[in-house]
Amino acid sequence: MRKRRIRQVSRKEQRKLWITEMIMVVLAVIWFIPVYYLIVTTLKSPQEATQSPLGLPKVWMFENYVQAWNKMEYPRALFNTVQITVLAVAIIVLITSLAGYAMARTRTKWGNRFFLLFLAGLMVPFQMNIVSLFKIVKTIGLMNTVWAVILVDVAINIPQGIFLFKEFIESSVPRELEEAAEIDGCSVIQKFFVIVLPLLKPVIATVVIIVTLNVWNEFMTPLLFIQSRENSVILQEVSRNIGQFSTDWTALFPMLMLGVAPLMLFYLFMQKYIIAGVAAGAVKG
Amino acid sequence: MTKTKKKRECGSLGHYFILFILPALIIYLTFSILPFFFTFIYSFTDYSDIKIKDLDFVGIKNYLTVLKTPLMKIAIKNSLIYAVVLTGFQVILGLPLAVVLNKKLKTRNLLRAVYFFPAVFSSLIIGYLWNFILSSSDYGLINNLLHQLGVNTVNFFTADRALYSVIFTQIWQWTGWAMVIFLANLQGISPELYEAAAIDGADGRQQFFRITLPLMCPSVKIIVVTGLIGGMKAFDAIYSMTSGGPGNATETVMTVMMDKGISDGFYAVGSAFGVCFFIIVLLISGLTNKLMSKWSEAIG
Repeated sequence: MRKRRIRQVSRKEQRKLWITEMIMVVLAVIWFIPVYYLIVTTLKSPQEATQSPLGLPKVWMFENYVQAWNKMEYPRALFNTVQITVLAVAIIVLITSLAGYAMARTRTKWGNRFFLLFLAGLMVPFQMNIVSLFKIVKTIGLMNTVWAVILVDVAINIPQGIFLFKEFIESSVPRELEEAAEIDGCSVIQKFFVIVLPLLKPVIATVVIIVTLNVWNEFMTPLLFIQSRENSVILQEVSRNIGQFSTDWTALFPMLMLGVAPLMLFYLFMQKYIIAGVAAGAVKG
Repeated sequence: MTKTKKKRECGSLGHYFILFILPALIIYLTFSILPFFFTFIYSFTDYSDIKIKDLDFVGIKNYLTVLKTPLMKIAIKNSLIYAVVLTGFQVILGLPLAVVLNKKLKTRNLLRAVYFFPAVFSSLIIGYLWNFILSSSDYGLINNLLHQLGVNTVNFFTADRALYSVIFTQIWQWTGWAMVIFLANLQGISPELYEAAAIDGADGRQQFFRITLPLMCPSVKIIVVTGLIGGMKAFDAIYSMTSGGPGNATETVMTVMMDKGISDGFYAVGSAFGVCFFIIVLLISGLTNKLMSKWSEAIG
């Protein structure tokens, strides 16, 4: 008798769960319509895009992509974006893991003071300083180079990187291991690169993911510091061409698609890690 | 005892401490701290594109200009609306979404991935995409569908609506982001709490308000603070959808800063505007911190 009641309850629960799932799936389909619309429109002729905006393309117009590819000078723009992102991420991981380690292992007044100095950066939006940043970049002769974007993007991401590394080292890297290495005659630098760095893989993954998204999607720093076309990034190419050809409808969607395609691939393959990385970065940062 | 311990710990890095923090410190000093101080200094001078040398001290003149210029007041107001509405919806929609997607649904990983998807991309491109979707021309998806249904078309970019249309697209983009952070918080709540509540006869709604909501305080705080500050910085989506128009209807702090501070060469006024922006951001985070800790006291 009692058993049956429990089974009934669980069956009722299961039905509720099933209904919830159906509702969420329908909502997700609606949520996804803009992305679907973007993808199918890239392959249509202007007439077809107007007549059946949500239908699948009858004739697949890949020429749209060829045109967009050429107008955006895509290979060059992609190369610049990749170059900026890879260098910025590499620099951030190296310098903030070093600094985070130094501050995690030093309990002097200065360790704490420097940490607070870096942490204060979380409260200061760099956007308030664009006038003086513009002037500084010009003065040191970095204007119109990818290095201006790289270094400013690095500076923007330093506080969070240091915070994540310091936190992780304090909570998860055992001192005993380092002491043992020291007894074996490791120098401090060896100790860091051979013993500590390999233990930091989870937090390195978090930092890489967050900084990759931040730098790849950063539009204001390239807009401020890169004027010449040969140094410009994908986002600048998208905005330049959409401004110029705003009447040529079908030429524009492939440009948007080419604009998001690299990150879309990154997301398809790394989805689980990206979601985990964003959550870890935010909850601790 | 503690003193010797301290010395030894310090000694374990010794002068390597400086060496290790130096690279980060140099970049941070040059591109974060130095510009911060220059912004304050410039804001009290007559620095502009017609006077780039021998700057004179002009007191608070630039700040008065900021306070007197209608465009800058509109920009601050719009940014505040943008930040508050966007953040509000991120919490109101993201929180239930996270609670539901924390249940044992068969497709929950796929569902999470779909809702989070737009957050991966640049707001600039998302803005362009929605610009086409909301457009009033023949090509606009929504108006096209409305037309096919025989309903009157809607202009989403009138002076009254444009700001909210942009905010709407950003809610679509950033709700999944909030959901992921709420989910991380939810997964840290012990299931035993719910079991105990169920034994005591608490139904789903009671469990949500008595257990889930109070324990979600940390992630709500993160979303509220980062959402409000991120909203104040809004630029990319505005740039691609309305460029501040029609008229000044969607000017935000950052669109005005780019126009006046950089393009038009009013460097000093731009700096003063930047300082005002900084003060607003400080006030917002101070205020939310205070309110949120009151909230957690009230329910805790």
